[in-house]
Amino acid sequence: MTTASTAATTAEVTEIDASARCPLLLLIGTALLWLVVSGALALLNLVQLHTPAYAAACSVMTYGRTQAMAETTFIYGWAASAGLAVTLWILGRLGGSPLRSLNWVGAGVIFWNLGIVLALVGIATGDATSHAWLQLPRYVQPLMLVAYGAIAVPGVLAWTGRRQETTYAAQWYAVAALFLFPWLFSAAQVLLTFVPTRGVLQALVAGWYVQGAWTLWLAPLALTAAYYLVPKVQGRPVSHYEYTALGFWTLLFVGAWTGGRHLIGGPIPAWVATVAAVACALLLIHYIIVALNLRGAFHTGGSTVLRFVALGLGAYLLGGVLDAVTAIRGVAVATQFTLVSAAQTQLALSGAFTLTLFGAIYFLVPRITGQPWASLSLLRAHFYSALIGTVILVVALAAAGFIQGQDLANPDVTFASIAAHLRPWLLVATAGQAVILIGNFLLLIHLGRTVCAARHAAAPATFRPAPTMEASAS
Amino acid sequence: MKNGLTFFLGLFVALALSFTGIVLGSHAQLGGLAPYYDENEGKAFPERMPGLAARGQLVYQDVGCAACHTQQVRRPDFGSDKARGWGDRQSVARDYVSQASVQLGENRIGPDLANFGSRALAVDADRLTKYLYEGHEGMPGFRFLFETRKVVGERSAKALDVPAPAGSEVVPTHRAEALVAYLQSLNNVYEYPEARPVEPAAETKEGGK
Repeated sequence: MTTASTAATTAEVTEIDASARCPLLLLIGTALLWLVVSGALALLNLVQLHTPAYAAACSVMTYGRTQAMAETTFIYGWAASAGLAVTLWILGRLGGSPLRSLNWVGAGVIFWNLGIVLALVGIATGDATSHAWLQLPRYVQPLMLVAYGAIAVPGVLAWTGRRQETTYAAQWYAVAALFLFPWLFSAAQVLLTFVPTRGVLQALVAGWYVQGAWTLWLAPLALTAAYYLVPKVQGRPVSHYEYTALGFWTLLFVGAWTGGRHLIGGPIPAWVATVAAVACALLLIHYIIVALNLRGAFHTGGSTVLRFVALGLGAYLLGGVLDAVTAIRGVAVATQFTLVSAAQTQLALSGAFTLTLFGAIYFLVPRITGQPWASLSLLRAHFYSALIGTVILVVALAAAGFIQGQDLANPDVTFASIAAHLRPWLLVATAGQAVILIGNFLLLIHLGRTVCAARHAAAPATFRPAPTMEASAS
Repeated sequence: MKNGLTFFLGLFVALALSFTGIVLGSHAQLGGLAPYYDENEGKAFPERMPGLAARGQLVYQDVGCAACHTQQVRRPDFGSDKARGWGDRQSVARDYVSQASVQLGENRIGPDLANFGSRALAVDADRLTKYLYEGHEGMPGFRFLFETRKVVGERSAKALDVPAPAGSEVVPTHRAEALVAYLQSLNNVYEYPEARPVEPAAETKEGGK
């Protein structure tokens, strides 16, 4: 591994970056903090999965509650904060002027994180809603919506006040994610929490929200980063750019329709599950176009940023194919209600989203602090632990889920023996989650060291020679 | 994509379409679903949950039971649900119309509970309560739903038959009693008109969809 620059020039560290330093670092710092908390909770949750008696006597740590807490801190703590930080910065850069109204971000971040802390306390004491991805207790939900609005203000202003009429794919995905999430979030809040729908409609709304939150919010946030970084780092335009718009609109129009895929064979109208299967297949168009557009990412040229983005992209494409396959009834009969869904969720969240965002953070932090990453060995350690941990976690969960599906199909196998069959794989998955957690903790420390170094740097950071801006591995 | 307004409208339409299709569409189909009145039996199904069971559903929700248990039976030719004794017919939307919070669940770490009330374990409330305290077949015990207290005067009639320190007894809290009542109330065996045709079709046509 050597330290060699890819595309960072002195001119790149502009006023746009410097002005946004504090709010964006605050967002990224809290995001990483939540990522570590979420990782620790997920680890506890996995331990409980293979050793159910662990901490079970403690009411705040039942399996259901640790799962809800790990999920909530991951999605709202890590994914939302990191995704917003990267998206705001990219919108500012592509908009061509410094981000405005950044005080809103500061205020929003405080209330957003306050909301997550409240939610954790609420879930631990039994106020979870029991809807996947929306476990936030009812008294926290409106606060989160308002805080989100505040954080998004500079992004909206950067979009409306952009200097150029022509827009880029990264901007489409960014604006879609910024605008669609509040609509989705508020609709789900009303229909699930404040004026709950009746009967199984709750499950349908919840499925629509989960799939919408992924395809209209988190996936676009990650794609914003990917569509910005790949051409930027490589210094080459996106290939087959003429198809990009088709890929974008396919995701937007078809994405949320895939929500019924978890309810195949369930007590819902059959057309919902059928439409979901068709939508999953149609969505392959989107994945093919993304692969076509961003295949350059796989020629990393030794750039750490591109390595992370390539891994994230690989996970995203694989996840899309797996979604389509498991939405087929003949496959769903074996994979439904098993840990295969957990493996798919981890592939999307810990794989596609998180790895892409790591790439973006490695690109962004040196530019807003004006300081290169402090340690190449920390960076390397994080890369390999993220890669190895995620692969182990996803593969082990999928294997466990496959065995679980086989066992469930045979009515003679008792639940005690299913648990015994799954145990070896769950131990492996726990090890994978532990490796991920260690890696993420290293990234948090690394960020702290880099920010401290930036504060103590004597010379104005903007005059630092370009080649040291980005640590790259080869 | 030069026109910001068209772009913004596109975003709105994309979300509105899926909302209209999935949420409003299924609401139009199922929103008016009412309990089915059986004239022979003189009552409507599904029956309303007794008050204690309704409180038990809140315990089920807040402890997070749905993380490991589903409450949806798939039709006899789709998976082993019937063979495992979870239900003779598939769950239908009407089964859930009187539930305040529907707990379909997404993972079967433990058995499906949609018709738990009709099983032998549920009928034996003492054994069920003891399993909730001690754990059973991989399910951990939920001891925080129980109270260990000194025996004052006579031993409580509710005291569990489990080891306890000398002079003490383990009794279920109100939450444990509510949870047991809820689990006993889970029983969707009534055959609605829409639930009937599924099984004969499955018998005549093996593996049919």
